[in-house]
Amino acid sequence: MSGTTETQSKSAEYNRLPRWPAIGGLTLSFLGFGIAAYLTYEHYTASTSLTCPAAGGMVNCLKVTTSGYSEISGVPVAVLGLIFFAVMSVLQSPRAWNSHWPALRVGRVVWSLVGVGTAVWLIYAELFKLDAICEWCTAVHAVSVLLFGLTVFGTAVTAEEPEPEPA
Amino acid sequence: MNSPSKPSPSREGSSPVPPRAGQKSRQQGRRPGSSAGQGRRARQSTLRRRRNIMAAMAVAAVVIVVAVVVAVGLSSSSSQKAAPRVPLTASQEAHLTGVPLSTLVAASDTSAASHLIPAYQINAPAYTSGGKPQILYIGAEFCPICATERWPMVVALSQFGTFSHLSQSRSAVRDGNLATLSFYGSSYTSQYLTFTAVETLTNVPKGNSYEPLQTPTPDQVRLWTGVLGSESYPFIYAGGKYVLDTYQYPATVIEGRDFAQIAGAVGDNSTTVGASIDASAAALVKYICGITGQQPAATCQAVAAVKATVTNVAQSGPSSSAND
Repeated sequence: MSGTTETQSKSAEYNRLPRWPAIGGLTLSFLGFGIAAYLTYEHYTASTSLTCPAAGGMVNCLKVTTSGYSEISGVPVAVLGLIFFAVMSVLQSPRAWNSHWPALRVGRVVWSLVGVGTAVWLIYAELFKLDAICEWCTAVHAVSVLLFGLTVFGTAVTAEEPEPEPA
Repeated sequence: MNSPSKPSPSREGSSPVPPRAGQKSRQQGRRPGSSAGQGRRARQSTLRRRRNIMAAMAVAAVVIVVAVVVAVGLSSSSSQKAAPRVPLTASQEAHLTGVPLSTLVAASDTSAASHLIPAYQINAPAYTSGGKPQILYIGAEFCPICATERWPMVVALSQFGTFSHLSQSRSAVRDGNLATLSFYGSSYTSQYLTFTAVETLTNVPKGNSYEPLQTPTPDQVRLWTGVLGSESYPFIYAGGKYVLDTYQYPATVIEGRDFAQIAGAVGDNSTTVGASIDASAAALVKYICGITGQQPAATCQAVAAVKATVTNVAQSGPSSSAND
Protein backbone atom coordinates (compact mmCIF):
# COMPACT_ATOMS: atom_id res chain seq x y z
CA MET A 1 0.00 0.00 0.00
CA SER A 2 2.77 2.40 0.89
CA GLY A 3 4.57 1.33 -2.29
CA THR A 4 1.56 2.30 -4.35
CA THR A 5 1.37 5.64 -2.60
CA GLU A 6 5.04 6.24 -3.23
CA THR A 7 4.66 5.40 -6.90
CA GLN A 8 1.71 7.70 -7.15
CA SER A 9 3.58 10.49 -5.41
CA LYS A 10 6.55 10.09 -7.75
CA SER A 11 4.24 10.05 -10.72
CA ALA A 12 2.56 13.19 -9.47
CA GLU A 13 5.93 14.83 -9.02
CA TYR A 14 7.09 13.88 -12.50
CA ASN A 15 3.94 15.30 -13.95
CA ARG A 16 4.60 18.62 -12.25
CA LEU A 17 8.23 18.91 -13.34
CA PRO A 18 8.86 21.42 -16.11
CA ARG A 19 9.46 19.57 -19.33
CA TRP A 20 11.40 22.20 -21.22
CA PRO A 21 14.85 21.21 -19.87
CA ALA A 22 14.48 17.67 -21.16
CA ILE A 23 12.86 18.67 -24.45
CA GLY A 24 15.34 21.46 -25.12
CA GLY A 25 18.32 19.49 -23.86
CA LEU A 26 17.53 16.45 -25.95
CA THR A 27 16.88 18.54 -29.03
CA LEU A 28 20.20 20.36 -28.68
CA SER A 29 22.05 17.14 -27.87
CA PHE A 30 20.68 15.42 -30.97
CA LEU A 31 21.48 18.49 -33.05
CA GLY A 32 25.04 18.55 -31.71
CA PHE A 33 25.38 14.82 -32.26
CA GLY A 34 24.25 15.20 -35.85
CA ILE A 35 26.74 17.96 -36.63
CA ALA A 36 29.54 16.08 -34.85
CA ALA A 37 28.65 12.99 -36.88
CA TYR A 38 28.96 15.03 -40.08
CA LEU A 39 32.31 16.46 -38.97
CA THR A 40 33.52 12.96 -38.08
CA TYR A 41 32.49 11.73 -41.52
CA GLU A 42 34.30 14.69 -43.08
CA HIS A 43 37.36 14.08 -40.96
CA TYR A 44 37.75 10.54 -42.22
CA THR A 45 36.61 11.00 -45.80
CA ALA A 46 37.62 14.56 -46.75
CA SER A 47 39.79 14.89 -49.79
CA THR A 48 43.46 14.67 -49.02
CA SER A 49 44.13 17.10 -51.85
CA LEU A 50 45.58 20.16 -50.19
CA THR A 51 44.55 23.28 -51.97
CA CYS A 52 43.77 26.85 -51.05
CA PRO A 53 40.16 27.95 -51.48
CA ALA A 54 39.60 30.50 -54.24
CA ALA A 55 38.52 33.33 -51.98
CA GLY A 56 40.82 32.51 -49.10
CA GLY A 57 39.63 34.25 -45.97
CA MET A 58 38.58 33.32 -42.48
CA VAL A 59 35.84 30.84 -43.27
CA ASN A 60 37.81 27.74 -44.14
CA CYS A 61 36.50 24.51 -42.69
CA LEU A 62 39.12 22.36 -44.41
CA LYS A 63 41.93 24.36 -42.82
CA VAL A 64 40.37 23.90 -39.39
CA THR A 65 39.40 20.26 -39.66
CA THR A 66 42.79 19.24 -41.02
CA SER A 67 44.85 21.35 -38.62
CA GLY A 68 46.84 20.11 -35.67
CA TYR A 69 44.04 21.36 -33.45
CA SER A 70 41.57 18.94 -35.01
CA GLU A 71 42.93 16.18 -32.79
CA ILE A 72 43.59 15.83 -29.09
CA SER A 73 46.13 13.14 -28.24
CA GLY A 74 45.50 11.59 -31.62
CA VAL A 75 41.74 11.43 -31.19
CA PRO A 76 39.81 13.60 -33.67
CA VAL A 77 37.94 16.42 -31.95
CA ALA A 78 34.90 15.48 -34.04
CA VAL A 79 34.89 12.02 -32.44
CA LEU A 80 35.20 13.57 -29.00
CA GLY A 81 32.21 15.72 -29.94
CA LEU A 82 30.24 12.61 -30.84
CA ILE A 83 31.03 11.07 -27.47
CA PHE A 84 30.19 14.32 -25.68
CA PHE A 85 26.76 14.64 -27.29
CA ALA A 86 25.99 10.94 -26.91
CA VAL A 87 26.59 11.17 -23.16
CA MET A 88 24.76 14.48 -23.03
CA SER A 89 21.72 12.93 -24.71
CA VAL A 90 21.50 10.45 -21.84
CA LEU A 91 21.97 13.18 -19.26
CA GLN A 92 19.28 15.31 -20.88
CA SER A 93 16.69 12.55 -21.06
CA PRO A 94 13.40 13.06 -19.17
CA ARG A 95 14.34 10.19 -16.86
CA ALA A 96 17.62 11.88 -15.99
CA TRP A 97 15.95 15.23 -15.40
CA ASN A 98 13.40 13.58 -13.14
CA SER A 99 16.09 11.99 -11.03
CA HIS A 100 16.89 13.43 -7.60
CA TRP A 101 20.32 11.83 -7.56
CA PRO A 102 22.70 14.70 -6.75
CA ALA A 103 25.64 13.12 -8.57
CA LEU A 104 23.60 13.02 -11.75
CA ARG A 105 22.46 16.61 -11.45
CA VAL A 106 25.96 17.88 -10.66
CA GLY A 107 27.45 15.61 -13.31
CA ARG A 108 25.16 17.06 -15.96
CA VAL A 109 26.25 20.60 -15.11
CA VAL A 110 29.92 19.58 -15.05
CA TRP A 111 29.56 17.73 -18.36
CA SER A 112 27.95 20.77 -19.99
CA LEU A 113 30.80 22.87 -18.56
CA VAL A 114 33.30 20.49 -20.16
CA GLY A 115 31.49 21.06 -23.45
CA VAL A 116 31.50 24.82 -23.21
CA GLY A 117 35.13 24.84 -22.01
CA THR A 118 36.19 22.79 -25.01
CA ALA A 119 34.21 25.12 -27.26
CA VAL A 120 36.02 28.16 -25.85
CA TRP A 121 39.38 26.44 -26.34
CA LEU A 122 38.55 25.54 -29.94
CA ILE A 123 37.26 29.05 -30.69
CA TYR A 124 40.55 30.36 -29.32
CA ALA A 125 42.49 27.94 -31.52
CA GLU A 126 40.49 28.94 -34.60
CA LEU A 127 40.88 32.67 -34.09
CA PHE A 128 44.33 32.94 -32.55
CA LYS A 129 46.22 29.96 -33.93
CA LEU A 130 44.62 29.09 -37.23
CA ASP A 131 43.02 32.35 -38.32
CA ALA A 132 40.22 30.37 -39.80
CA ILE A 133 36.69 29.55 -38.81
CA CYS A 134 34.81 26.40 -39.62
CA GLU A 135 31.11 27.12 -39.84
CA TRP A 136 30.16 23.59 -38.79
CA CYS A 137 32.44 23.78 -35.77
CA THR A 138 30.90 27.13 -34.90
CA ALA A 139 27.47 25.51 -34.95
CA VAL A 140 28.69 22.86 -32.50
CA HIS A 141 30.17 25.56 -30.25
CA ALA A 142 26.87 27.44 -30.26
CA VAL A 143 25.01 24.25 -29.36
CA SER A 144 27.44 23.62 -26.51
CA VAL A 145 26.93 27.11 -25.08
CA LEU A 146 23.15 26.79 -25.39
CA LEU A 147 23.28 23.38 -23.72
CA PHE A 148 25.25 24.84 -20.85
CA GLY A 149 22.72 27.63 -20.36
CA LEU A 150 19.81 25.24 -20.59
CA THR A 151 21.41 22.79 -18.18
CA VAL A 152 22.20 25.45 -15.60
CA PHE A 153 18.73 27.00 -15.72
CA GLY A 154 17.10 23.59 -15.91
CA THR A 155 19.00 22.52 -12.81
CA ALA A 156 17.91 25.67 -11.00
CA VAL A 157 14.22 25.30 -11.77
CA THR A 158 14.07 21.59 -11.05
CA ALA A 159 15.89 21.82 -7.75
CA GLU A 160 14.07 20.37 -4.77
CA GLU A 161 12.61 22.87 -2.38
CA PRO A 162 13.62 22.42 1.24
CA GLU A 163 11.33 20.42 3.44
CA PRO A 164 8.74 22.61 5.10
CA GLU A 165 9.43 23.32 8.70
CA PRO A 166 7.16 21.54 11.11
CA ALA A 167 4.33 23.72 12.36
CA MET B 1 6.46 15.32 11.01
CA ASN B 2 4.95 15.44 7.61
CA SER B 3 6.27 13.04 5.11
CA PRO B 4 6.17 13.65 1.37
CA SER B 5 4.50 10.28 1.00
CA LYS B 6 1.83 11.16 3.52
CA PRO B 7 0.05 14.23 2.37
CA SER B 8 -1.71 16.06 5.05
CA PRO B 9 -4.94 17.82 4.11
CA SER B 10 -4.39 20.24 6.94
CA ARG B 11 -1.24 21.59 5.32
CA GLU B 12 -1.32 24.07 2.56
CA GLY B 13 -1.50 22.41 -0.77
CA SER B 14 -2.19 18.80 -1.42
CA SER B 15 1.06 17.87 -3.05
CA PRO B 16 2.57 14.65 -1.74
CA VAL B 17 6.09 15.91 -2.42
CA PRO B 18 7.76 19.20 -1.84
CA PRO B 19 7.29 21.54 -4.77
CA ARG B 20 10.25 22.36 -6.96
CA ALA B 21 11.52 25.75 -7.82
CA GLY B 22 9.93 27.26 -10.85
CA GLN B 23 6.72 25.33 -10.35
CA LYS B 24 3.55 26.95 -9.25
CA SER B 25 1.98 24.80 -6.62
CA ARG B 26 -1.69 25.07 -6.28
CA GLN B 27 -1.58 26.87 -2.99
CA GLN B 28 0.31 29.71 -4.55
CA GLY B 29 -2.86 30.93 -6.17
CA ARG B 30 -4.73 30.91 -2.89
CA ARG B 31 -4.92 33.56 -0.30
CA PRO B 32 -2.45 33.00 2.49
CA GLY B 33 -3.85 30.93 5.22
CA SER B 34 -1.28 31.67 7.91
CA SER B 35 1.79 33.73 8.64
CA ALA B 36 3.85 30.52 8.73
CA GLY B 37 2.71 29.73 5.21
CA GLN B 38 3.55 33.21 4.09
CA GLY B 39 7.02 32.93 5.58
CA ARG B 40 7.61 29.58 3.91
CA ARG B 41 6.51 30.88 0.55
CA ALA B 42 8.71 33.92 0.96
CA ARG B 43 11.71 31.74 1.77
CA GLN B 44 11.01 29.46 -1.17
CA SER B 45 10.61 32.44 -3.44
CA THR B 46 13.90 33.90 -2.22
CA LEU B 47 15.66 30.59 -2.71
CA ARG B 48 14.20 30.23 -6.17
CA ARG B 49 15.24 33.74 -7.09
CA ARG B 50 18.75 33.12 -5.74
CA ARG B 51 19.08 29.95 -7.82
CA ASN B 52 17.93 31.71 -10.95
CA ILE B 53 20.34 34.58 -10.34
CA MET B 54 23.21 32.13 -9.88
CA ALA B 55 22.26 30.32 -13.07
CA ALA B 56 22.04 33.60 -14.94
CA MET B 57 25.44 34.66 -13.60
CA ALA B 58 27.02 31.37 -14.69
CA VAL B 59 25.58 31.68 -18.17
CA ALA B 60 26.52 35.35 -18.39
CA ALA B 61 30.11 34.52 -17.37
CA VAL B 62 30.38 31.94 -20.13
CA VAL B 63 28.81 34.26 -22.71
CA ILE B 64 31.20 37.06 -21.71
CA VAL B 65 34.25 34.76 -22.00
CA VAL B 66 33.13 33.58 -25.44
CA ALA B 67 32.38 37.14 -26.56
CA VAL B 68 35.78 38.41 -25.39
CA VAL B 69 37.65 35.56 -27.10
CA VAL B 70 35.73 36.12 -30.34
CA ALA B 71 36.07 39.92 -30.26
CA VAL B 72 39.81 39.90 -29.49
CA GLY B 73 40.43 37.09 -31.96
CA LEU B 74 38.63 38.81 -34.81
CA SER B 75 40.20 42.20 -34.16
CA SER B 76 43.75 40.84 -33.90
CA SER B 77 43.23 38.82 -37.05
CA SER B 78 42.06 41.78 -39.11
CA SER B 79 44.89 43.98 -37.85
CA GLN B 80 47.68 41.74 -39.08
CA LYS B 81 49.69 43.46 -41.80
CA ALA B 82 50.58 41.68 -44.98
CA ALA B 83 54.16 41.66 -46.15
CA PRO B 84 54.71 43.91 -49.17
CA ARG B 85 56.10 42.56 -52.45
CA VAL B 86 59.82 43.32 -52.81
CA PRO B 87 61.79 42.84 -56.05
CA LEU B 88 64.58 40.28 -55.84
CA THR B 89 68.09 41.61 -55.88
CA ALA B 90 70.21 40.61 -58.85
CA SER B 91 72.21 38.20 -56.73
CA GLN B 92 69.09 36.58 -55.26
CA GLU B 93 67.61 36.14 -58.73
CA ALA B 94 70.88 34.77 -60.09
CA HIS B 95 71.13 32.30 -57.22
CA LEU B 96 67.58 30.99 -57.47
CA THR B 97 67.54 30.74 -61.25
CA GLY B 98 71.00 29.29 -61.54
CA VAL B 99 70.91 26.12 -59.48
CA PRO B 100 72.99 23.52 -61.38
CA LEU B 101 70.94 20.71 -62.87
CA SER B 102 73.31 18.20 -61.33
CA THR B 103 72.33 19.51 -57.90
CA LEU B 104 68.67 18.93 -58.67
CA VAL B 105 69.39 15.42 -59.91
CA ALA B 106 71.39 14.70 -56.78
CA ALA B 107 68.50 15.91 -54.64
CA SER B 108 66.26 13.32 -56.23
CA ASP B 109 68.33 10.69 -54.45
CA THR B 110 67.80 12.22 -51.02
CA SER B 111 65.12 11.15 -48.56
CA ALA B 112 63.27 14.39 -49.31
CA ALA B 113 62.47 13.06 -52.77
CA SER B 114 60.76 9.95 -51.49
CA HIS B 115 57.77 11.83 -50.08
CA LEU B 116 57.00 14.18 -52.96
CA ILE B 117 53.39 14.50 -54.00
CA PRO B 118 53.13 13.43 -57.64
CA ALA B 119 51.45 15.37 -60.44
CA TYR B 120 48.34 14.09 -62.14
CA GLN B 121 48.88 12.81 -65.64
CA ILE B 122 46.00 13.55 -67.93
CA ASN B 123 45.24 12.86 -71.54
CA ALA B 124 44.04 16.21 -72.84
CA PRO B 125 44.67 18.02 -76.11
CA ALA B 126 48.05 19.71 -76.26
CA TYR B 127 47.93 23.04 -74.49
CA THR B 128 50.08 25.44 -76.45
CA SER B 129 50.81 29.10 -77.03
CA GLY B 130 52.77 30.54 -79.94
CA GLY B 131 53.46 27.04 -81.17
CA LYS B 132 55.13 26.06 -77.91
CA PRO B 133 53.80 23.92 -75.10
CA GLN B 134 52.33 26.12 -72.41
CA ILE B 135 52.36 25.91 -68.64
CA LEU B 136 49.59 27.83 -66.96
CA TYR B 137 49.89 28.71 -63.30
CA ILE B 138 46.91 30.20 -61.47
CA GLY B 139 47.59 31.03 -57.86
CA ALA B 140 47.30 33.74 -55.27
CA GLU B 141 49.78 35.53 -53.10
CA PHE B 142 47.85 34.78 -49.89
CA CYS B 143 47.90 31.05 -50.59
CA PRO B 144 50.42 29.10 -48.47
CA ILE B 145 50.39 26.11 -50.80
CA CYS B 146 51.22 28.33 -53.75
CA ALA B 147 53.91 29.93 -51.61
CA THR B 148 55.46 26.52 -51.02
CA GLU B 149 55.30 25.45 -54.65
CA ARG B 150 56.68 28.62 -56.25
CA TRP B 151 60.17 27.86 -54.97
CA PRO B 152 60.71 24.65 -57.00
CA MET B 153 58.75 26.14 -59.91
CA VAL B 154 61.23 28.98 -60.27
CA VAL B 155 64.19 26.64 -59.94
CA ALA B 156 62.79 24.13 -62.44
CA LEU B 157 61.53 26.60 -65.05
CA SER B 158 64.91 28.30 -64.97
CA GLN B 159 66.35 25.15 -66.54
CA PHE B 160 64.28 25.89 -69.65
CA GLY B 161 64.32 29.68 -69.85
CA THR B 162 64.93 32.94 -68.07
CA PHE B 163 62.94 34.72 -65.37
CA SER B 164 63.20 38.41 -64.70
CA HIS B 165 61.58 40.80 -62.25
CA LEU B 166 60.67 38.14 -59.74
CA SER B 167 59.64 39.45 -56.32
CA GLN B 168 59.81 38.10 -52.83
CA SER B 169 56.55 37.94 -50.98
CA ARG B 170 54.80 36.05 -48.21
CA SER B 171 51.58 34.16 -47.95
CA ALA B 172 48.95 35.96 -45.89
CA VAL B 173 49.68 36.38 -42.21
CA ARG B 174 46.59 34.38 -41.37
CA ASP B 175 47.63 31.73 -43.91
CA GLY B 176 51.01 30.68 -42.64
CA ASN B 177 52.94 33.87 -43.45
CA LEU B 178 55.32 31.74 -45.53
CA ALA B 179 58.23 33.44 -47.26
CA THR B 180 58.03 32.94 -51.00
CA LEU B 181 58.32 34.47 -54.44
CA SER B 182 55.63 36.16 -56.46
CA PHE B 183 55.18 35.78 -60.18
CA TYR B 184 53.28 39.07 -60.32
CA GLY B 185 55.17 41.54 -62.50
CA SER B 186 57.70 38.93 -63.60
CA SER B 187 58.42 37.76 -67.11
CA TYR B 188 59.67 34.48 -68.46
CA THR B 189 61.17 33.71 -71.84
CA SER B 190 62.05 30.31 -73.23
CA GLN B 191 62.56 28.81 -76.63
CA TYR B 192 61.00 25.57 -75.44
CA LEU B 193 57.80 26.58 -73.67
CA THR B 194 55.50 29.39 -72.63
CA PHE B 195 54.88 30.05 -68.98
CA THR B 196 51.81 32.04 -68.04
CA ALA B 197 51.31 33.03 -64.42
CA VAL B 198 48.20 34.58 -62.93
CA GLU B 199 48.30 35.72 -59.31
CA THR B 200 44.63 36.39 -58.73
CA LEU B 201 44.72 37.81 -55.22
CA THR B 202 47.24 39.63 -53.06
CA ASN B 203 48.06 38.75 -49.46
CA VAL B 204 46.22 41.84 -48.20
CA PRO B 205 42.98 40.89 -46.42
CA LYS B 206 39.81 42.45 -47.72
CA GLY B 207 36.66 41.40 -45.94
CA ASN B 208 36.55 37.63 -45.96
CA SER B 209 38.97 37.43 -48.87
CA TYR B 210 41.96 39.36 -50.24
CA GLU B 211 42.58 42.34 -52.48
CA PRO B 212 42.31 41.27 -56.13
CA LEU B 213 45.44 41.35 -58.27
CA GLN B 214 45.09 39.69 -61.67
CA THR B 215 42.12 38.25 -63.48
CA PRO B 216 42.43 35.04 -65.49
CA THR B 217 40.91 35.04 -68.96
CA PRO B 218 37.58 33.24 -69.49
CA ASP B 219 39.46 30.44 -71.28
CA GLN B 220 41.82 30.07 -68.35
CA VAL B 221 38.92 30.00 -65.91
CA ARG B 222 37.19 27.36 -68.04
CA LEU B 223 40.33 25.27 -68.04
CA TRP B 224 40.87 25.78 -64.31
CA THR B 225 37.38 24.85 -63.21
CA GLY B 226 37.08 22.17 -65.88
CA VAL B 227 40.13 20.31 -64.62
CA LEU B 228 39.88 20.90 -60.87
CA GLY B 229 36.11 21.04 -60.62
CA SER B 230 36.34 24.26 -58.64
CA GLU B 231 38.44 27.37 -58.35
CA SER B 232 41.17 26.42 -55.92
CA TYR B 233 44.89 27.20 -55.76
CA PRO B 234 47.34 26.39 -57.07
CA PHE B 235 46.45 25.27 -60.56
CA ILE B 236 49.49 24.27 -62.55
CA TYR B 237 48.54 22.94 -65.95
CA ALA B 238 51.41 21.69 -68.08
CA GLY B 239 50.77 21.28 -71.79
CA GLY B 240 47.58 19.25 -71.40
CA LYS B 241 49.63 16.42 -69.91
CA TYR B 242 50.29 17.16 -66.24
CA VAL B 243 48.35 18.89 -63.50
CA LEU B 244 49.54 19.90 -60.06
CA ASP B 245 46.94 21.24 -57.65
CA THR B 246 49.01 21.27 -54.49
CA TYR B 247 52.57 21.50 -53.28
CA GLN B 248 55.06 18.72 -53.88
CA TYR B 249 56.72 18.94 -50.47
CA PRO B 250 55.07 19.96 -47.17
CA ALA B 251 54.70 23.63 -46.35
CA THR B 252 56.03 22.86 -42.88
CA VAL B 253 59.50 22.55 -44.42
CA ILE B 254 59.69 26.32 -45.01
CA GLU B 255 57.42 27.39 -42.16
CA GLY B 256 58.99 29.87 -39.77
CA ARG B 257 61.96 30.64 -42.04
CA ASP B 258 62.56 33.99 -43.65
CA PHE B 259 63.19 34.58 -47.33
CA ALA B 260 66.97 34.73 -47.01
CA GLN B 261 67.11 31.45 -45.11
CA ILE B 262 65.04 29.60 -47.69
CA ALA B 263 66.72 31.19 -50.68
CA GLY B 264 70.11 30.45 -49.16
CA ALA B 265 69.20 26.79 -48.70
CA VAL B 266 68.12 26.34 -52.32
CA GLY B 267 70.84 24.35 -54.07
CA ASP B 268 72.12 22.97 -50.78
CA ASN B 269 70.95 19.39 -50.52
CA SER B 270 72.44 18.96 -47.09
CA THR B 271 69.53 20.95 -45.68
CA THR B 272 65.94 19.74 -45.53
CA VAL B 273 64.74 22.96 -47.13
CA GLY B 274 67.26 22.78 -49.96
CA ALA B 275 66.80 19.06 -50.61
CA SER B 276 63.01 19.39 -50.60
CA ILE B 277 62.97 22.29 -53.04
CA ASP B 278 65.67 20.83 -55.27
CA ALA B 279 64.09 17.37 -55.38
CA SER B 280 60.73 18.92 -56.21
CA ALA B 281 62.36 20.99 -58.93
CA ALA B 282 64.03 17.89 -60.37
CA ALA B 283 60.65 16.16 -60.64
CA LEU B 284 59.19 19.28 -62.25
CA VAL B 285 62.00 19.37 -64.79
CA LYS B 286 61.19 15.80 -65.73
CA TYR B 287 57.48 16.62 -66.08
CA ILE B 288 58.31 19.63 -68.24
CA CYS B 289 60.53 17.50 -70.45
CA GLY B 290 57.42 15.42 -71.02
CA ILE B 291 55.70 18.36 -72.70
CA THR B 292 58.66 19.85 -74.57
CA GLY B 293 59.40 16.66 -76.47
CA GLN B 294 62.46 16.03 -74.27
CA GLN B 295 63.96 19.39 -75.19
CA PRO B 296 66.53 20.64 -74.43
CA ALA B 297 68.01 17.22 -74.91
CA ALA B 298 70.90 17.67 -72.50
CA THR B 299 68.61 18.74 -69.70
CA CYS B 300 66.08 16.02 -70.27
CA GLN B 301 68.70 13.32 -70.58
CA ALA B 302 70.18 14.47 -67.29
CA VAL B 303 66.87 13.98 -65.49
CA ALA B 304 66.02 10.73 -67.25
CA ALA B 305 66.85 8.78 -64.13
CA VAL B 306 64.95 11.11 -61.81
CA LYS B 307 61.95 9.46 -60.27
CA ALA B 308 58.97 11.68 -61.03
CA THR B 309 55.90 9.65 -60.25
CA VAL B 310 52.51 10.56 -61.60
CA THR B 311 48.95 9.80 -60.65
CA ASN B 312 47.01 8.72 -63.69
CA VAL B 313 43.48 10.00 -64.00
CA ALA B 314 40.85 8.93 -66.46
CA GLN B 315 39.85 12.50 -67.04
CA SER B 316 40.07 13.69 -70.61
CA GLY B 317 41.04 17.17 -69.56
CA PRO B 318 39.96 20.48 -70.97
CA SER B 319 38.59 21.08 -74.41
CA SER B 320 40.87 22.22 -77.16
CA SER B 321 39.24 25.64 -77.07
CA ALA B 322 41.37 26.33 -74.06
CA ASN B 323 44.42 26.46 -76.29
CA ASP B 324 45.40 29.83 -77.53
